[in-house]
Amino acid sequence: MSADTVLLELRDVRAGFGSQTVLHGVSLQVREGEIAGIFGLNGAGKSVTMKVVAGIVPARRGDVVMDGRNITTVAPEDRVALGMAHVPQGRQVFPGLTVEQNLRLGGYRLRRRDKRRYGEALQRTLDRFPILAERRAQLAGSMSGGQQASLAVARALVSDPRIVLVDEPSAGLAPKTVEELFETLREVNRSGVTMLMVEQNVTFGLRLVDTANIMQRGRIVYAGPVADLDQERVAEHLGVGRLLGRGLSAAVQSHEAAAR
Amino acid sequence: MTALATSGSGSDANTPQPQSPRAALQALWNSVMTPRRANIALWAVLLAALPPITERAMPHLFTSGKLQTLDVAACFAVAALALNVLVGYAGQMSLGHAAFMGVGAFTSGLIVGRYGLSMAVGVPAAALFGGIVALLLGIPALRLRGLYLAITTIAFGVALQLSILRIPWISGGNAGVVLPRRVAGNLQLIDNADWLAVLLVVLLVVWLLDTNVMRSKVGRAFRAIREDEGVAQSFAVNVVTYKLTAFVISGALAGVAGALYGHTIGQANSDPFSYELSLQLIIMVVVGGLGSRSGVVAAAFFFQVFPAVMPAWFNGYQVPIGAALLMYTVARHPDGLAGALREARERREMRRMRGGAGDDDDEDIEERGRLPKLPALPRPSTLPPRPEVAGGTVLSARNVSVRFGGLQAVDDVSLDVPRGRIVGLIGPNGAGKTTLFNALSGHIRPQRGEITFMGQDVSDLAPHRRAALGMSRSFQLIGLAKSMTVLDNMLLAQHVLGRYDIGSALAYLPRTARVERELTERAHQAIAALGFERFTDTPVRSLSHGQQRIVELGCLLVTDPELLMLDEPSAGMSPGAAENLAVRLRELRDEQARTVLLIEHNIPLVLDVCDEIYVLNSGAVLASGPTETIARRPEVIGAYFGEAVPA
Amino acid sequence: MITALIIGVVQGGMYGLLALGLVLVYKGSRVLNFAQAEIGTVSLFLAYWLVTEHHLPWIVGAVCALLLGAAIAMVFERVIVRPMGSAPRLSVAVATIGLLTLLLSLELLQFGPSPRVLPPPIDGLGLHIASVYVSPTQLISLGAVAVIGAGLALFLRRTDFGLGVLAAAEDPTAVRLVGVRLSHVSAFTWGVSGALSALAALFIAPSLGVFTPGVIGAPLFVASLAGALLGGMSSLPGAFVGGIAIGVLEALTKFLVISRNLSATIPGGESIAIFAVILIVLLVRPQGILGRRAAA
Repeated sequence: MSADTVLLELRDVRAGFGSQTVLHGVSLQVREGEIAGIFGLNGAGKSVTMKVVAGIVPARRGDVVMDGRNITTVAPEDRVALGMAHVPQGRQVFPGLTVEQNLRLGGYRLRRRDKRRYGEALQRTLDRFPILAERRAQLAGSMSGGQQASLAVARALVSDPRIVLVDEPSAGLAPKTVEELFETLREVNRSGVTMLMVEQNVTFGLRLVDTANIMQRGRIVYAGPVADLDQERVAEHLGVGRLLGRGLSAAVQSHEAAAR
Repeated sequence: MTALATSGSGSDANTPQPQSPRAALQALWNSVMTPRRANIALWAVLLAALPPITERAMPHLFTSGKLQTLDVAACFAVAALALNVLVGYAGQMSLGHAAFMGVGAFTSGLIVGRYGLSMAVGVPAAALFGGIVALLLGIPALRLRGLYLAITTIAFGVALQLSILRIPWISGGNAGVVLPRRVAGNLQLIDNADWLAVLLVVLLVVWLLDTNVMRSKVGRAFRAIREDEGVAQSFAVNVVTYKLTAFVISGALAGVAGALYGHTIGQANSDPFSYELSLQLIIMVVVGGLGSRSGVVAAAFFFQVFPAVMPAWFNGYQVPIGAALLMYTVARHPDGLAGALREARERREMRRMRGGAGDDDDEDIEERGRLPKLPALPRPSTLPPRPEVAGGTVLSARNVSVRFGGLQAVDDVSLDVPRGRIVGLIGPNGAGKTTLFNALSGHIRPQRGEITFMGQDVSDLAPHRRAALGMSRSFQLIGLAKSMTVLDNMLLAQHVLGRYDIGSALAYLPRTARVERELTERAHQAIAALGFERFTDTPVRSLSHGQQRIVELGCLLVTDPELLMLDEPSAGMSPGAAENLAVRLRELRDEQARTVLLIEHNIPLVLDVCDEIYVLNSGAVLASGPTETIARRPEVIGAYFGEAVPA
Repeated sequence: MITALIIGVVQGGMYGLLALGLVLVYKGSRVLNFAQAEIGTVSLFLAYWLVTEHHLPWIVGAVCALLLGAAIAMVFERVIVRPMGSAPRLSVAVATIGLLTLLLSLELLQFGPSPRVLPPPIDGLGLHIASVYVSPTQLISLGAVAVIGAGLALFLRRTDFGLGVLAAAEDPTAVRLVGVRLSHVSAFTWGVSGALSALAALFIAPSLGVFTPGVIGAPLFVASLAGALLGGMSSLPGAFVGGIAIGVLEALTKFLVISRNLSATIPGGESIAIFAVILIVLLVRPQGILGRRAAA
């Protein structure tokens, strides 16, 4: 699946809030067609990295490049017009609006530019999520967590995006729902949609992504294929290696056994 | 000075020699009349003498009408200072301050006009009633914040003007109340210049009161409240009491201003004390600069005098132009003109100190990673000796649970912090660590649970009371009043050591001065221990993040607390600085015998520093125990790696 | 007493319109617009000027009034509010006080303090409900409210931009992530609120009879605020209903005071009543009767 085209890139980005610097020079690449993941403990800077990609937090130094175009100073709304779509943390569907209205908002920019493409994307999305087609008139706020998750993903897909940014998809969802979401995202990616995902749950995330970027205290300490990782190296890169000490392998094995 | 008669070689130059009476008087004069007091006396004489002398010497310079304009300006200057105390210092809104002026005017009107007493009774009575009305309004209203408080004050102002002040007994019908400028009996100050002298002296007195407030713990408490009430409470400031105090002082002074205004005009009815006047006052305070005495006084004079000196054709245009200027000023300089000047000055200072470096400077300090040693000051003499605590447990929590709506943020947590130990609290995002902290410090009320501190049940105590018992805590976003200087923050941190009451502060009695001197000296010692002397008068917000964190730690230590609660102290620090922080924290335990409870995401730091660890996940304690044993528990792995998803 | 009720409802209608505008702006920019009522008064003066001095038909005057109200609000938003970005809300509120003062002083300069009357569109064709005269202007305004209200509702629910406005009120950060420009939403909310002010002023002009600069002053503003708070600062329909409720409360209080001969003892008792309502609502249920979340 690896086209070697780099679709999205961060180059030596420095960013923070007020007097605090949270990212101390972050570089990463997302190749077309893959799912790339950003992992790290809280405070490592993965949310801030996502916000820099989205444009919500400005990069004080460094560049954000999409499709070869430097979008570092482009506003978040306009990045959406360039093909960036979001599945925000906590889904953030609009609870007072119906499913149909939520989807329509997903196509906010595309619909004016290219009605035909929007129509096709909408149809594809409704085909993929028949449950949403059924419940078009239902208020988004009255749906279950899993249904809202589907809606959030659908809302992103309606804009026929170049890349979908998925922010902590497993947060606040029951394990079974997480599994369903997992399947959905994998399927969407297999149909050709590139994704960049931030995920707190490493176990879940590593099964989904092709490339992993692991962060510690504002820097990327590992960027490479998931295949090259094992639990011990992951623990090391997250920074919990020393915490888990000598008994790590045994503990990890027993943990995985329990999960099976 | 008489020559010292020394006899013999062993004579000490410090031995007091008998002084002549003249020298003794000189010494007495020097001790009473400090440079500051001499300054004040000079101003008082000047202000009192200038108007009457000018008028008699150059009678055609100012017409009576022009003098009255100045009179009114002086009254509004007092009102602006009054409002400034509430809005500029304490950060509480009032859009109904004209009401307090009205209360003052009518009070003095009744006492002087109707009952024939002197203004010397009427004006203080105006202050008294202004304060009382403010108290009555403040008790319910100050539970509200920001916008809601503002709306309440507007409604109050309107109700007072249209209703209370029109009650016939008070208002004397449509004619209103007469306010003669009676000094005593039949002696009245008819002349506008003489009256101006009186007004200016009163203005001076109010100015002095204002400076006394700001020089004392009262002013610092106000400013801390304006900045961040949670931080103020963590420094043992009783936010409720101080907000009310600011309201009462402001109301009383506004009452004085109203009374003086009434006496200036000669009579009062409810008409002038309107919403529009309240808005004018706010405009004066905001444009002059919130928190700046000179700014608001200048603005008050400007607003009154400027229209009067403009030529006739301009008449009527000054208001729209002024309004446009107001909008422009507020948009460009939300802190008013004084704020803009201050900001420009600060930026020049910082550029000078940093030698022109920008963000790089932050990186430099962080990369070099050397944090100063944390101050180890002797226990303040005003505090009782360090108490012993039964069982050696400083802080103990039992079955603490906190629920927000549908979310159980803290779930039945129990923990103990033994004396002289560093206890760590770790766990993934959303595990409830900061919420637990907030429950322990009192910033949040848990639904269930008991918290015992130093052997005392503090579960029902407000945060400022727990802080006064010796519980210090830091905040993720740095718990300091960022607009105040390092020195002021160090003084604010010693709020609990300020052993004088609010009345003494207003008058700045010798006791107050002495306590302030002691606190200042201690603050300087702490700053020197940090090696931050060059930052003494720098506003905290101008420092880098790492420097701010250090100042915060210094402030926490200055009152010799029983417990330090630190919330992610290494957040935002480089690895080098964080390692150095670990060294400093260990020093706290080993050299100063301090007790620390620590939230951290920096696992290596936690392993380095903590004796015991509690692991929190989804609000509940997942595991706890000595550091080495915790490290190997499988639940901890699950907490950090995430629940395994069933395949 | 029925008379008092009818008067209260009519007056409350004006409060409701002003409250709607206040809540719209508050939801959009978290700002309390102190100039809300004065925008209406200025627009009323424009209508007066066009109808009386230039002899244009009433409807032209009314439409121009609405346009002026919208324009003033939108210009203010663009030139003052938007550049202030994340400045403290108090400062922005003070800026609206500046706008209030500016409008008031311009009215005085241009028209002076003498009272004016806006002639109604059709003379002598009012309604009498329980001995209260409801003038043609009010009837037309009521009709306009209905039309504009329905139109607004349709626009908000059916068009993309309208959906963006609704979504922005619920979640301003998430709505950026679908590409909605908040600046456009802000301009829209301010513009509509300005037009609502103008409508409110047109609506109340007949009840006032004559009008002068600043006629829709503090007491009316406070009453609208109370209505907005009562309905909940986050709820549009709530604001309108709240305004009417306050109008009724005010009228009933006046009626009670007068009928019990208390007006000498407690002049202006209705402003005390309104103050009490505001205080109680804010202390006990700050999200208002109809509001969902706690605002501010």
